[in-house]
Amino acid sequence: MNLFAMMETSGGAMQAERMRAEVVAANMANAETTRTAAGGVYHRQHVVFAANAGDSGFADSMNAASGAVAAGTAGTLGTGTLVSGTLSPLTLNGTGAAAPGVHVAAVVEDPSPPLKRYDPGHPDAGADGYVSYPDINPLTEMVDLMGATRAYGLNSSAVQAEKGMISSALEIAKS
Amino acid sequence: MEMQVETRMGDQLARYLDLATSEAKLTAANMANIDTPGYRAQGMDFEAEMRDAMAGVDQGRSQRPVRLKAVAGLIARPDGNNVSMDREGLNLAEAQLKFKVGVTLLRQENQMVLDAIHAADK
Repeated sequence: MNLFAMMETSGGAMQAERMRAEVVAANMANAETTRTAAGGVYHRQHVVFAANAGDSGFADSMNAASGAVAAGTAGTLGTGTLVSGTLSPLTLNGTGAAAPGVHVAAVVEDPSPPLKRYDPGHPDAGADGYVSYPDINPLTEMVDLMGATRAYGLNSSAVQAEKGMISSALEIAKS
Repeated sequence: MEMQVETRMGDQLARYLDLATSEAKLTAANMANIDTPGYRAQGMDFEAEMRDAMAGVDQGRSQRPVRLKAVAGLIARPDGNNVSMDREGLNLAEAQLKFKVGVTLLRQENQMVLDAIHAADK
């Protein structure tokens, strides 16, 4: 019996959902950003979730690989530390039976072309007078944020339930 | 009559708590993957596992890992994920109640022994 592994699963999911919300927030914050550290216009980012493998040996190597992916696509963001993979992927220490948690497999860039807006006075305007702005739709971002918030709340109520179970398990030995 | 500290009932309840935990764990895993593309909800047959565990107590063998199975009858979303928030919420509440029942019964079971231990205090 491992009640804490359960908490790890839900906690990992909360971490992943929080990262998703952070990425959405970064997208909204950078809706008008024309300059990034990598040069050029900001591109919309989004997270890709993947279930952890049940087998711990495989899970470890998978997590290591996906960590590299997350770090590789990262770092170009205006808000800096966000995508640079501070999220440690969940490792599973279950016994045989798979109870997969979730982790952020990658933060990928939306390849859609930037929006062009005519503004010859802008310092980043091209020779034709058009400025490239990120293609960020506030509606899409808000819906994504809502999804992340709901999933976060769902997992946090799971954590509450697990806490209740653990503290009731402590009651067994009380007289 | 001889009194035993560890009873058969106690062993059975321990297995029951284990299974309730496994059920809650599966539910937590399904909830965690509610937005993972292609993820399929996993479940277990509680009754079959319980029957197996009870036979295990009588035969004195240790508990085998829970057999997982795909949950039938769920509607998959376009991304291939078929986790239902309602089902998982209900399952978690059920697992919690099962756990509470197990804890209550186990406490009653232990209470007798504790009473015997504390009888000398009075």
